[in-house]
Amino acid sequence: MATPIHVPRINNNDDEVKILAFDVAIGAKVMAEQIVGQVETDKAVLDVTAPVAGYVLGFVGQPEEVVKVGSVMLWLGETAEETIPETRPAVVGVTGSQTSQITAKAKIMLAQNGLQVEQIPAIDGRITVEAVERYLSRQGLAGTKNSAGFATASIPTETQPEVAGSPVDLTREEKGMAATVAWHRDFAVPGYIEIDYDLTLWAEYAKRFQEEKGLLMPPLLPLMASRLVDIAGEVPRLNATFIGNKRYEYDPVNLGFTIQAGESLYLAVVRNAHQLDQLGFVNSLGDVLRRAAGHNLRESEASGATIGFSSMERWKVTRHIPILPPHTALMVAHAAGQGGRGVLGASYDHRVLNGGQVVAALKKLAQPKKD
Amino acid sequence: MSLNKETIEAEIKAKIVEIAAQTGDDASELAMDDIIPATGLIDSTGLLELIAWYEKTYEIPLAQEEINVDNLGSLTRMAEFVLRKKGML
Repeated sequence: MATPIHVPRINNNDDEVKILAFDVAIGAKVMAEQIVGQVETDKAVLDVTAPVAGYVLGFVGQPEEVVKVGSVMLWLGETAEETIPETRPAVVGVTGSQTSQITAKAKIMLAQNGLQVEQIPAIDGRITVEAVERYLSRQGLAGTKNSAGFATASIPTETQPEVAGSPVDLTREEKGMAATVAWHRDFAVPGYIEIDYDLTLWAEYAKRFQEEKGLLMPPLLPLMASRLVDIAGEVPRLNATFIGNKRYEYDPVNLGFTIQAGESLYLAVVRNAHQLDQLGFVNSLGDVLRRAAGHNLRESEASGATIGFSSMERWKVTRHIPILPPHTALMVAHAAGQGGRGVLGASYDHRVLNGGQVVAALKKLAQPKKD
Repeated sequence: MSLNKETIEAEIKAKIVEIAAQTGDDASELAMDDIIPATGLIDSTGLLELIAWYEKTYEIPLAQEEINVDNLGSLTRMAEFVLRKKGML
């Protein structure tokens, strides 16, 4: 029997996503959990994985198409010769005789999750909240209740404010920020830890580096971010996320670095940072940050972070607790020092990391790499 | 756009004053030959904003290796670099 792979929800703000690519061909054999493609919203990219092993029968969507969350993206079969079932139109809601009976609460939940009633296996002939929750759990999507032991979050219904006002459309960057904080709220189980450290070692190291290389930009933060990349390379669980009740360790280290450019907040990403030497990383980060400052960040530089670094030193902030970018487990927070001592903090996803592991990483980060 | 050294220097200085003000600093006393990063008037994020503005305003895309103190370290050097890139110096 053919198995559909549905378009996943990246965050609660987007009921539609764009198909970026398929990584498999028709007829190809795929393993359970294998990545079969990617989808994206304004700021986040998500790998789509096969729920079961099978053969790719065909694609319903195509790259660059914007599709509804929960609609069928591709079909897998037990053999390569199976036929693709006829796909019904992607409509939320039902008319009585065509489908199983559906409760009002289940209907609301379907709408909240961008699902079609046809996708939900009925329980005793009825589509109930329990039936929807079972489906969401199996798909690894967020639901209102966790019936399969997966870490999911509630989706509260937002009420209209009582005070008069006007809705204002969000910019692309503001939508990206909203998507990021929604992922942090809905999926991560965030913790925060900080240590204090001696600023002198890093300050002297960065000054020496800047003089030796004749750099215009103070390289302190890029050098610290480069050190974080090294540490993530040594400890793969730092460069990971949590998917389907498993820790998912990334192959590349893609370093996301926050930058405020005017009113816009970006997470500029250096991809494959682990392959760069120190100067190469400083230059690459300089390039993406410069493009962010000019609001010219390329699409590949605005998504795909696997670990993050954030500093609010410029605002003389002595402590900040950063939001985790989607599908990351660690975001380091650098802040302004006082009296020769600085503070290094980190937000982390407690499903992936514990406090001891984060402290160990921060202690390593508190000192420059020994030459 | 008028491309003479004094005008460019004045435009760049005005931008630096604007950026410095974002973090509560006053760069109005910045001299033409002051080494900008050494003054501490604008931080690394401010410098990025300055360089991004500089590239766009004077239409001179910069390679990473060109972003150094020798080329862009002071108001005078930044103005002269524009003129050199435009073949006017």
